[in-house]
Amino acid sequence: MSYRYSAENTPPTPERASEVAITTHEHVYEVDPRLMELHVLQQTFPNWDTLRIMHARHDHLAWMHTHFAEKTVTGSELIAEIEDSR
Amino acid sequence: MTQTEPDMRPDALQKPFTPGAPSNDPELESYPETVSGPVPLELTDRRTAEFVEEWRNASYNCYSSGHKFCREVCPVMQVTRNESWTPTAFHANVVAMEKGELEIADIAEDYVNCTQCGACELRCPNTLFTGDFYKFRTRTVDVVKAVRALAVESGVHQPNWQTWNERTNDRTHEPVLGETEISQENVRNWAEGLDIPIGGDTVLFVDCEAAFYRTAVPRAVAQILQKAGYEFGLMGEQWCCGGPAAEMGYVDQAKRFARHNLDNWRSTGTKRLLVLDPHDYISFTEDYPKYFGAEFDIEVVLVVEVLADLLAQGKLTPTVPVDRTITYHDPCRLNKRKGIWEEPRQILRAIPGLTFHDVDRVTQWSYCSGGGGGLPVEKPELTAAISEKRLGHAAELGVDTLVSACPWSERPLSEAGDAKDIDVIDIHELFAESLGITVGGSRGTVGDKRCGGGGCGGGGCS
Amino acid sequence: MRRGWLFVTTLERPSTDLVDRVVERLRGVLRPDQILTSKTDRYNRARVPAPFPVHRWRERVPDLAVLPETTEEVAAVVSIANELRCPVVPRDGGTGLTDGAVPLHGGIVVDVKRMNRIHELDLENRTVTVGTGINMLKLNEQLAKHGLIYPDDPASYPCSLVGGRIGTSGWSLIGSRYGHTRDLVLSFDFVLPTGEILHVGDGAGGKISKSSSGYQLKHLFMGHQGTLGIATKATLKLYPKPEAELSPFWAFDDYDAAYRFTGALARAGVATFAGAVLFDEYKVAYLRRDDEAYIPQPADVRALTCAVLYGWEDEVRVGGKRLFRIAKEHGARYLGDEISEGDWAARHDRYATPLHGRTKAGQVVPMSWHCEDAAVNYTDVPAVTKAWHEIVADLRRKTDVFDDWGMFAYTSADTGVDYLTEIDVGIWEQRLDDAAWAMWVKAKRDIAAAALAHGGSISACHGSCREGEVDLVPRELGRGFDVMLGVKRMLDPNNIMNPGKYLLDLAYQGDVSAQLAELRGPS
Ligand SMILES: Cc1cc2nc3c(=O)[nH]c(=O)nc-3n(C[C@H](O)[C@H](O)[C@H](O)COP(=O)(O)OP(=O)(O)OC[C@H]3O[C@@H](n4cnc5c(N)ncnc54)[C@H](O)[C@@H]3O)c2cc1C
Ligand code: SF4
Repeated sequence: MSYRYSAENTPPTPERASEVAITTHEHVYEVDPRLMELHVLQQTFPNWDTLRIMHARHDHLAWMHTHFAEKTVTGSELIAEIEDSR
Repeated sequence: MTQTEPDMRPDALQKPFTPGAPSNDPELESYPETVSGPVPLELTDRRTAEFVEEWRNASYNCYSSGHKFCREVCPVMQVTRNESWTPTAFHANVVAMEKGELEIADIAEDYVNCTQCGACELRCPNTLFTGDFYKFRTRTVDVVKAVRALAVESGVHQPNWQTWNERTNDRTHEPVLGETEISQENVRNWAEGLDIPIGGDTVLFVDCEAAFYRTAVPRAVAQILQKAGYEFGLMGEQWCCGGPAAEMGYVDQAKRFARHNLDNWRSTGTKRLLVLDPHDYISFTEDYPKYFGAEFDIEVVLVVEVLADLLAQGKLTPTVPVDRTITYHDPCRLNKRKGIWEEPRQILRAIPGLTFHDVDRVTQWSYCSGGGGGLPVEKPELTAAISEKRLGHAAELGVDTLVSACPWSERPLSEAGDAKDIDVIDIHELFAESLGITVGGSRGTVGDKRCGGGGCGGGGCS
Repeated sequence: MRRGWLFVTTLERPSTDLVDRVVERLRGVLRPDQILTSKTDRYNRARVPAPFPVHRWRERVPDLAVLPETTEEVAAVVSIANELRCPVVPRDGGTGLTDGAVPLHGGIVVDVKRMNRIHELDLENRTVTVGTGINMLKLNEQLAKHGLIYPDDPASYPCSLVGGRIGTSGWSLIGSRYGHTRDLVLSFDFVLPTGEILHVGDGAGGKISKSSSGYQLKHLFMGHQGTLGIATKATLKLYPKPEAELSPFWAFDDYDAAYRFTGALARAGVATFAGAVLFDEYKVAYLRRDDEAYIPQPADVRALTCAVLYGWEDEVRVGGKRLFRIAKEHGARYLGDEISEGDWAARHDRYATPLHGRTKAGQVVPMSWHCEDAAVNYTDVPAVTKAWHEIVADLRRKTDVFDDWGMFAYTSADTGVDYLTEIDVGIWEQRLDDAAWAMWVKAKRDIAAAALAHGGSISACHGSCREGEVDLVPRELGRGFDVMLGVKRMLDPNNIMNPGKYLLDLAYQGDVSAQLAELRGPS
């Protein structure tokens, strides 16, 4: 809720997520930084910005659903109904 | 069957793979490169060459997409429909400069047409979908600021910006139009009678527009904080934050102002900065860290967030009903550039008596007041058109009041609201009213027609 | 491999003298702010997202641009251009991928983005009449208030505009349920290359969806890439905004299984079925580079199918259950609600991100996205897929300028007869020199030829008038191409309307049978 330079510029300790990706913040994957050493260099990215983008993406996706239809039917509901009717 | 091409000489490119995986076939690294690439151009102008070196990859990241997902959220584009003034164009021009096709004098004027609201760079898939993954996002606002700075350095000035910044320099505050004379002596006039100390651990920073024009806003903020028992003081010698100068390209001036403010906080032992204006919040959380790096160890706190927190803790309880039908205008610099949209709604939902027709934050990515980025100084007619469009959205909801949380938006929005009989008030003013505070101060020349007993001052509020 | 045939263009760029005269005359019909002549105005109307060597940018810069606001203004501009013999290039969103809105001979760009008003909403007949500069997403924000939707949903939904949809006869992601642009646009006002105004629809109608009166001209005036004129105002067909959406994603061990399943879904005859998409193994390997849904997937997730259904909730549930039963028979593994919903909602945004690009060794490089598409029958999709990857692999053997971003196959119709087959190619435009460009043009030609060899059409979606593919159009259309030349000559006697596109300059060169025979090659 508040901005402090040192906190913003210290990202969480990364964990390996795949051969080419890591995770840092919860729900955020990042490129393995060794792949951005030559042609495109990573920008200075304070924590707030990473989180802002991740949240905005989720809000945007939810918005896109309601833009096209009033509600979404989930696959898991339908699978459950099929199982039940057996 | 796995998708391979068995009838071919077997090689590493014959099957799908994810590049960069350590387990990949080492042959992938051994294909000789046969394309040499175009010969880079030597730019003769040193400033342009340096500029291009710094920004080419950022701009190229848009140029190579060029799909214009940003177009329909851009406030300027919505009222002009002129493709020369789109984020896409702002990036493409940089690539054209790299190729020697365009020069700063060719492009400078186009870059006036931007409020730096941040909609384009957030809506851009290169930010929204992959910005966090690559730690590399679209930076239209930064590019616009950098081009404006290059123009100023190269002696290409926009006349009104030049005058504005000269006056800001003379008065240490922006020359906002209003009844109060802009000067260092008057910067704390708004706080008359509120008995706020100078300096201390926490200071409240009041932007120029609020300090000299929409004084009801800082008065509301100060009194709400006092009511909650939140301790704060005012700055020893507050100067303009420097943000507007930076936005218009007058970078040296902006840095000088920032230096003054930082030194002043140091001299009063200040550790925390309370900020009520979204534009200042950007200056302090983005510009100052760039100027000073780790030296900038001041904590920056946004007032709306503090108030939402005090509300949640039960330290503030709005009880006076406010009989208005409202919608909320998400200030661009909070919603788009900072992702702050929930707290203002928490406050509004707590105010008794309000009928609140909310419009979600994503729809509002394409809303703007037109009041930012120096646009009203150079092209007031565009600001007015953008505000008019925003009020049009509000009018469709049948509201009598548009609530904002950004003093810089409130002047153009109020002017547009006047024509539609919609009041534009600040969230802090509204909250104070509901807490039973007599705010005082001015709500600007257009004012607030439906003002209750809260003491709104200003024109049109009898 | 045959060499491509280089044709000589008949039109040069207008002289400065001509441009001055054009501007002078335009001042009589437009306000000053509608006539744009500065360098940035022109440079920024010379480009579309498709990659092109940056060092050749200036070749495509127009001489001026105009921003008309009414049909009459468009007609006045075109009349002047026709009289003075100055090229005109219609431009709307500028998102087209076959260079349609790119001037090849300078001239006037007629940018119709200001014509974005909603003129009439007819709730009884369910139509809306709009200026062609309007964007579908923006239109649907307004229509939602009435519970309606205009369901033309290309991946460029947030940025392409109705005029460009008409100019390209676009393809929609949910077209298997609602039809594509040609089905959704009922009629439009159209400015011919002579400046005359025509209303085109089914018959003379404004709001008629089916007429048998006279020639069916509506199709002719769609998909011509602005070579026959400019649509200014269009009447569109509206649907109830769907109550429910279902978008399941399923995983498979390999491509063949996903392919068989996709076909089965499309053939199932479910009325709310709006489309199915097949992701091949290259696509899944590619998604593992940076897509949050696929980074954590186990290695045996190699190919995917997704389906999407729209309609009333009860219908969607019944149809959905049928698809899930088919999934069970095919051993399809449901990827879960979160991925299914998130990935479908991301359908517009995931294509053109430069940092998807990689060298073969794995370094991130900023690449332009290029989508090569074709219309291919279901039975031919695997063979085309294989041929196209091989073409791109060959490029990659030579250079890191090109990258394979995998393939999609999307149903075009509700029966599963044909698929929009698309290979996404990353192109490192910063390194695109003349040699690399030549490689790409050849690859494009090979890609188009492979689609034709398998009985397909060069494009389901974008059009086929770019360098490389365009040479094959006479072969694809056969005698139909000669008819195209005749129509062009008749409607545009002075070749002012988007000259240089689709080899239509041939219409003005007398007997071109020898050139056509060479282009068509041995049969
Ligand atoms: C990320 C991305 C995804 C895409 N996905 C799809 C997709 O799923 N489906 C699809 O069909 N396309 C897709 N495209 C391609 C493109 O969006 C379409 O071709 C679209 O129809 C072009 O519309 P526009 O408004 O941008 O037109 P423009 O690019 O401005 O013009 C396209 C053509 O139409 C002509 N034209 C423009 N306006 C008019 C007019 N008023 N009258 C007559 N002719 C005119 C132009 O001269 C040009 O030849 C995609 C593009 C991108 C960048
Ligand atoms: S800023 Fe982003 S959305 Fe806009 S054109 Fe550039 S890449 Fe596309």
